Amino acid sequence: MTTPEVHALTGPYVLNALPEDERIGFEEHLADCQSCSAEVSELREAANKLGTAVAAPPPPALKARVMAEIATTRQLPPLLREQAAEPEPLRRKGFSRRSFFGLAAAGLAVAGAGGIAIDQYRENSQTRHQNEQLAALLAESDAQTVRGNLKSGGQATVVMSPAKDTAIVLLHDLPKLPDDKTYQLWLEDKGRTMHSVGVTTHDGSKVIRGGIVGKVALGLTIENKPGATEPNLSTASVIPMV
Amino acid sequence: MSEESTALPWPVIVDAGSGTPADLMARVARGDSAAFAQLYDQMAPRVYGLIRRVLRNPAQSEEVTQDVMVEIWRTATRYDADRGSPTSWILTMAHRRAIDRVRSEQSSTDREQAVAAASSTTEYDEVAETVTTNLEVEQVRHCLGSLTELQRESVTLAYYGGYSYREVAELLDAKLATIKARMRDGLIRLRDCLGVTGR
Ligand SMILES: [Zn+2]
Repeated sequence: MTTPEVHALTGPYVLNALPEDERIGFEEHLADCQSCSAEVSELREAANKLGTAVAAPPPPALKARVMAEIATTRQLPPLLREQAAEPEPLRRKGFSRRSFFGLAAAGLAVAGAGGIAIDQYRENSQTRHQNEQLAALLAESDAQTVRGNLKSGGQATVVMSPAKDTAIVLLHDLPKLPDDKTYQLWLEDKGRTMHSVGVTTHDGSKVIRGGIVGKVALGLTIENKPGATEPNLSTASVIPMV
Repeated sequence: MSEESTALPWPVIVDAGSGTPADLMARVARGDSAAFAQLYDQMAPRVYGLIRRVLRNPAQSEEVTQDVMVEIWRTATRYDADRGSPTSWILTMAHRRAIDRVRSEQSSTDREQAVAAASSTTEYDEVAETVTTNLEVEQVRHCLGSLTELQRESVTLAYYGGYSYREVAELLDAKLATIKARMRDGLIRLRDCLGVTGR
C-alpha cells in the first residue's frame, strides 16, 4: 500500500470500517507514517467522544460476573523493554513524587504534549508564588493533568489533585472579549449540575480549593458581565476531568 | 492569577474510593482487584453503552461487555500510557470487539437488522438516556449537527451502525473513495468542533 490515497484511510481505520486485509495493510503503513499515526490518535479521541455520548448503565448483575471471572483469570506478564541507554522518556501520566525530580521535567512533559508551556510560567519571577503552588500541586502523588482546546480558541490546562481537593486552571491563548463579556468557569458534578467557580479573564489562571472531588468536567463559557448563574451552553467548551 | 480560598457554595463530597483512570490502571496492572472494581464503575457504562448501540441485542451486548472488561484486566499489564489515555484505550477496545462480533455474525448469517441499524443515522439526537455529562452529550450532538449530511451519515453508519466503508457506500449509493474521504473529513470536523487533541 504505497499509493497516495492510503493516507485517506485514517478515517475508516479509526471507525473500524476497514475490511481485515485493508486494516492489516494500513497498520503496516501506520508504523512508518508519522502524519497518519498522529492523525489517527487525534481522530480516535473524536470517535471516542461518540462512544462516550451513548454511555448507558449496564445491568447491575454484570459487575459480579466480571469480578468473579477476573478472580480466576491470570494477567499477562508485562512486555519487557530493553533497558534504554537513552534518557528515560517523559511520561504524561500523573506526576508522582518519585518522578518529580524538579518542575522542569513536569513542565517539559506538559509542554511537549502540546499544551501550555509551564516552563515559561516557571521562568517568570513575578509569578514565583503561583509557580510554587503549581509545583506543590504537581508534586502530589495523585496529581493529574488534563488539557483541551477551547471552542473560543486557545487552550485550558487543568492540574488537579483529588487528595488535596485542589485544582489550578491555566488558560492560554484565549481571544480577548468585548468589554461587556466575560469568561466563566464551571465544574460539573455527577448529578449533571453545573457549579460556577467564577469569572476569569482571557489570560487568567485560577486556583480552585475545595469542590474538586466528585466533579467530572470543567466547563468554560462566555457570559455577559458580571457572569451568569446558568451556563450559556452554546459557548461552552468542556474538558472531562475523569 | 485570582485565587479562591473560600469554600465553594456546595458541599464537598469526600469519595474515598475515587481515583483517576490512570491511577487505577497502574494499580490494576499490579493485580489490584479493588482498583479494578473502581475502574469498572467508571468505565462499564461507556463500554456497555457503546457496545449496545452497535449490537442492539441486550444479551449479546452484556456478553461482549463482560469480555471487554475481563480483557482490560488481563491485558492491563500491556497498557502503555504513552500511547493514549486509559479511556481511549478502553473505548477503542470496546468498539473493536463490538465490530468483531458484527463481522463474525455477518459471515454466518444475513443481517436481519440491516434496516433497523440503517436508521441509526438519525439517532444521534436521542442520546438523552446516558450517564455521561450533559455538556459532553450536548456538544457531541451539536458537533454532529455541524457535519454535512454525507459526512454525518458516513461516520455514524460506520461507528454506531458497525458497517464497513464498502457497506456504507452501498447504503448511501456513493463511490468508495467518496465515503473514505467523508469518514476522514467528517472526523476531522468533529475533532475541531469538539476541541479534542491526540496525545
Ligand atoms: Zn500516511
